[in-house]
Amino acid sequence: MTGYDTAGRIQNTYVSAHREFGTHPNFWIRYFTPSPAADLFHEDALAESRGAWDSGGPYIGVISAPRQSRLSGSAAEGHADAQAFAAALLTAYHGVRPLLLPANNQLYCWLDQEYSTSLSLSYWNAWASYLANYNFAGLGTYPLYPCLYCAPHSPYPNCSTVSKARGVNRPAAIWSSTPEPCGTVSKPPRWNAAHCATIGTRLWQFGEQGVCNLSANVDLDLGGPGFITARFCFRLKYRP
Amino acid sequence: MRSRRRGNSVWSRGPDGSSGPSRRRVLAGGIGAGALLALPDLGSSAGASVSGRPAERYAFVYGTPDLDEAPSGSVVAAMCPPSRAASRPPVPVAVRLAAAPVSSADQTVTALATVDMVHDGAKITLTLLGATAPTVVKQGSVTVTGVPHDAHVLVTPVFAPGSAIISLVLAITVPVGKHMVRKAHPHTGHPVTQLATTWRSHHALAYFNQHSGAMTGPFHLSDGPSLALSTAAANGSDLLLWTTREPQPHDSAAVRAQASLSRLHVFPLGSGKARLSAAVPAPWPGGEPVATLATGDVARLVRGRQVQVCSARTGEVTEHEIPALREGRAKPSAVTMHARPDGTVFMTKPGSGVAVIADAADSFRARSHIRYAAPASPLGAPWSKAVLSPAGETVYVLGPAGTGGLCAYHAGSGKLAGSYSEGRQYHGLYQLPSGALLAVRPENPRLAFFSPDLSPLGTAETNLHVSAIY
Repeated sequence: MTGYDTAGRIQNTYVSAHREFGTHPNFWIRYFTPSPAADLFHEDALAESRGAWDSGGPYIGVISAPRQSRLSGSAAEGHADAQAFAAALLTAYHGVRPLLLPANNQLYCWLDQEYSTSLSLSYWNAWASYLANYNFAGLGTYPLYPCLYCAPHSPYPNCSTVSKARGVNRPAAIWSSTPEPCGTVSKPPRWNAAHCATIGTRLWQFGEQGVCNLSANVDLDLGGPGFITARFCFRLKYRP
Repeated sequence: MRSRRRGNSVWSRGPDGSSGPSRRRVLAGGIGAGALLALPDLGSSAGASVSGRPAERYAFVYGTPDLDEAPSGSVVAAMCPPSRAASRPPVPVAVRLAAAPVSSADQTVTALATVDMVHDGAKITLTLLGATAPTVVKQGSVTVTGVPHDAHVLVTPVFAPGSAIISLVLAITVPVGKHMVRKAHPHTGHPVTQLATTWRSHHALAYFNQHSGAMTGPFHLSDGPSLALSTAAANGSDLLLWTTREPQPHDSAAVRAQASLSRLHVFPLGSGKARLSAAVPAPWPGGEPVATLATGDVARLVRGRQVQVCSARTGEVTEHEIPALREGRAKPSAVTMHARPDGTVFMTKPGSGVAVIADAADSFRARSHIRYAAPASPLGAPWSKAVLSPAGETVYVLGPAGTGGLCAYHAGSGKLAGSYSEGRQYHGLYQLPSGALLAVRPENPRLAFFSPDLSPLGTAETNLHVSAIY
């Protein structure tokens, strides 16, 4: 199952992406506070949701890319970033009536750790713990699952950090940004995502716009064998 | 001089490290959450100081130790090596900081905050480091009483241009309930039972006088439940603080409709009582670049392409679009903004390969617009990937993703003035007050120094994965 992540507006992007790749995505992954480009969904969740529906990919995954030096920091920083992330998700959920939690009640919440960023255990544990224990919308179902986007073979601490996490702080999944053989959403490469030693890679960013010279403002993603990415995203029940 | 409770430590030591614990002791002591090293800036090899300040200065390196025995970041001080062959190692300064350090606008003082849980609450210590030696020049503490040991206290020091007062914005998050919950195991789908904590945050202020060493506060704000993330800036008389109410599960529709609004509070420096409090436009505060302008107003660079100028006097917000920053890509980009003494601001968006010098007094009209090829890691740490020379004539950027190295552009014409590459990718770029450039790379020697004409000056090794330079 393939889809897109983008820091652009979905409604301004999906037509050019369809023109370039000839098919629709199964899902979109969007940036939420605290993060660059978080304003797009936060300030106009309705238009973004309509864009996702109209694109044929009515599933919206969620990622946050805090200021990257914070990821080397303290538990207080990780806790604060997770608190803002959860609040932004709740705001979007309340803002778009047909935006629903996944049927399996597992919304994967990705922390964006870029190639040249170090992740400290204090930050990760506080970030992950807050999300895992967040009583989303007062439902009592605790549907948020902390996950990590990273380049597993980067020389900076990433896999080695989260491998020390225990219990609910352990990432539910890794989304690997490497390697980048490119391809298209209709013809992705064979599964060959980089992986951490102890936590499974479920999602693979196999083509970045800049590296693969894509015209459309999208990066290309592929779910791992047996992993249906859309099942771990917000879903739109109908066109908002 | 040291304090240790949760393992937070700041050492007072000379440039040779003789007055403090050994480097081995620092690392063996545990550390890890974020460390600070002192790195000497420009030695005699790079010529006279551009800024007219003493030639030998230190830079502070913030990051995470190699062998992550400890759970978060540290600081070392380092100096530009006198020759390529004889580099001087950075000096360990502090470990397990409560937050990343903050430097004064003129880069003469760097502030470190640590939090120690003591018997009656949380002891917040602010330590000021000078640039001419990696030593503690001033230190003060305040204890927030009644804070439980499992609370989170996020400390943000805020320098005020033209004032000796440093504000400390404290986000205090305490557990307000614990209960057993059931949720599906992520891999098996089977229900598991776990202990969950609910939290509530509010803010408090404290003030430190750099001259007298006196600390006042804490002044608790009645803004809970609030998001701990906030944005703060100060001018010579006021502290401006942006906060956001934390959305609650059972908020009414009317309250939700206001959810995207944040509040701006303006406090006279030294006071815990706001003289102004008003709703302000989105986005929520937290991590966006801010700069105090010559007028005393404060600019926020938001949405990666707009500047919101907030009047310190009235709280009124004026928004300016920066056309050069409008271009977006699939990958989000870090953005930076720095106010300059001549009234301009320097803004960068490395993911789009854009740097802009804009006139704050003229609706942020672009005076210069430099385009360059995006570097390999436009979003990753360190966030500084393009810098402007002190005289404002040259913009230095990380080299293109394909070739690495560094490039220099004429700020006026936007034309390429020079480049250097030996095939290595650098991930961060800083200009030290001396005028020397400091580039950061993944493997040791992680610190590479260059002259303003991009000639290599030397390298230095550090045990830190570098997150930022101060």
